[in-house]
Amino acid sequence: MNVIEIKNLTKTYGKARGITDISFNVEQGEIFGFIGPNGAGKSTTIRTLLSLIYPTSGSATIFGKDCIQFAPEIKKEIGYLPSEVFYYDNMKVKDLLKYSASFYKKDCTKRIKELAEIMDLDLNKKIDDLSLGNKKKVGIVQGLLHEPKLIILDEPTSGLDPLMQQKFFDILEEENKKGATILFSSHILSEVQRLCNRVAIIKEGKIVTVEKISTLKENNYKKLKIETKAPLEKDYFQISGVNKLEVNDNITSFLFRGNINTVMKKIADIEIANLWIEEPDLEEIFMHYYEKEA
Amino acid sequence: MNIFLHELRAYRKSTIIWSISLTLIVVFYLSLYPSFAHDAEEFTKILEGYPEAIRNAIGINLGGFFTILGFYCFPLSFITLCGAIQAMNLGTSIVSKEVREKTADFLLTKPVTRTRILTSKLLAVLTAIVLTNIVYLAAASIMAFQVKTEDFSFKLFIMLSLTLFFVQLIFLALGLIISVIVSKLKSVLTVSLGTVFAFYFLGMLSSTSGEEAKRYISPFKYFDTAYIMKHASYESSFLIAGAIIIILAIVASYFVYTKKDIHAV
Repeated sequence: MNVIEIKNLTKTYGKARGITDISFNVEQGEIFGFIGPNGAGKSTTIRTLLSLIYPTSGSATIFGKDCIQFAPEIKKEIGYLPSEVFYYDNMKVKDLLKYSASFYKKDCTKRIKELAEIMDLDLNKKIDDLSLGNKKKVGIVQGLLHEPKLIILDEPTSGLDPLMQQKFFDILEEENKKGATILFSSHILSEVQRLCNRVAIIKEGKIVTVEKISTLKENNYKKLKIETKAPLEKDYFQISGVNKLEVNDNITSFLFRGNINTVMKKIADIEIANLWIEEPDLEEIFMHYYEKEA
Repeated sequence: MNIFLHELRAYRKSTIIWSISLTLIVVFYLSLYPSFAHDAEEFTKILEGYPEAIRNAIGINLGGFFTILGFYCFPLSFITLCGAIQAMNLGTSIVSKEVREKTADFLLTKPVTRTRILTSKLLAVLTAIVLTNIVYLAAASIMAFQVKTEDFSFKLFIMLSLTLFFVQLIFLALGLIISVIVSKLKSVLTVSLGTVFAFYFLGMLSSTSGEEAKRYISPFKYFDTAYIMKHASYESSFLIAGAIIIILAIVASYFVYTKKDIHAV
């Protein structure tokens, strides 16, 4: 079952780029990564899902219901954490969380305490006096206190120290085990790689690909580095399936996708000094997607 | 209900300050009344030296100036000006506060409709204004009974005082529509002070010319104190004009607010 279904979603703001014809689904129970650089349209997509902004065309459903028409109903089961959190300054953390909880028809006091304890957050401080990282913690507790079925995170880790990030990821994984679906937007690949099952890569307002992380990293991508005794002709490895070919004196490196035998035969024909074959990390695959169409 | 209470709490301090300020102004002016009444004739002579246009502009009406009601009209125009600033501040802050404090994302991702958010917030500022008026009216009435030299119509006194509330309602609605349309209000105070003073001076100018139609330009001129005292009623055409402004502004605000995009900060 799909928790989120986005169909041909388009949002244009006058001249500025918005998002164009975005479609993807997020299945129940998965942690879905949404990745792209700043300004690619991640926040625009998320804000449309939350009906903070209205689409120019296309539609999206959450829990099978239109995200604009049934917005208030859907939001009962959504926890949202924006990239930058700002809350009513002259309130205490405790009061803000109570205010937040008052929107949901359930008792959240226990969960607030639990989360605050894990995140090491002092409930009696004024929000004004909190550091950026601590404000972020308030945001996390605020987004999770009603145990939502869908958690939407928009670049959630900025401002958190590595230790807190770890704790935060633990909480997310725990929520996921309990059945929560998570949409995780980020421009940091390593965290997406760690946490997510599938990713959508967005570029300049368009979805480039939707893949399983494991597929992205599958063996058909190889990173090869060859050291030869004499310099090679520059286009010796210019065969189909080769990407990012770089030749530096005696060292040649490239990414390869396809039948590995073709490359191995080419290599067998030359005198080599050394050979490295590695699986590329996600970063490189990501760059590959970005450069391919540039 | 939770939004309403939250908002009301947020306006608590400013409401107390405004109530006290308005009360102090009216107490101060009315406390001058006994000495004014005492030297009535000499004052009349001095004021007669002023051109009628100027007297009209600052709201002095020689005919009844030395009765307590006539005298009360003079501070009332100033109090109404202050009250308009309070109302305009409240009105503009309804929506722009969320944008400025960047809490719009917080509120609008909660399971409530935008209509409910706007209604709760509107009711909260309305309550703040009503409370201010109650405090003010109580203080003004007590003071009036303290300083009176002869009996006066309390009904007229209330009717005069209520003009403060009506003008506030108009500016509240104006503030609301401005804050909904202008997406990022940097400073509420500059906008509200600017608008209120612009209307105030427009009102002063229009009363010097004496043309009836020009009074529609400024809400400050919708309630002519001399007319109220003379007829013991409000001018219905201006009441209607005021009501139309309020209704149009509020309806338009709801319409725009439920349709508009809330952008990231």
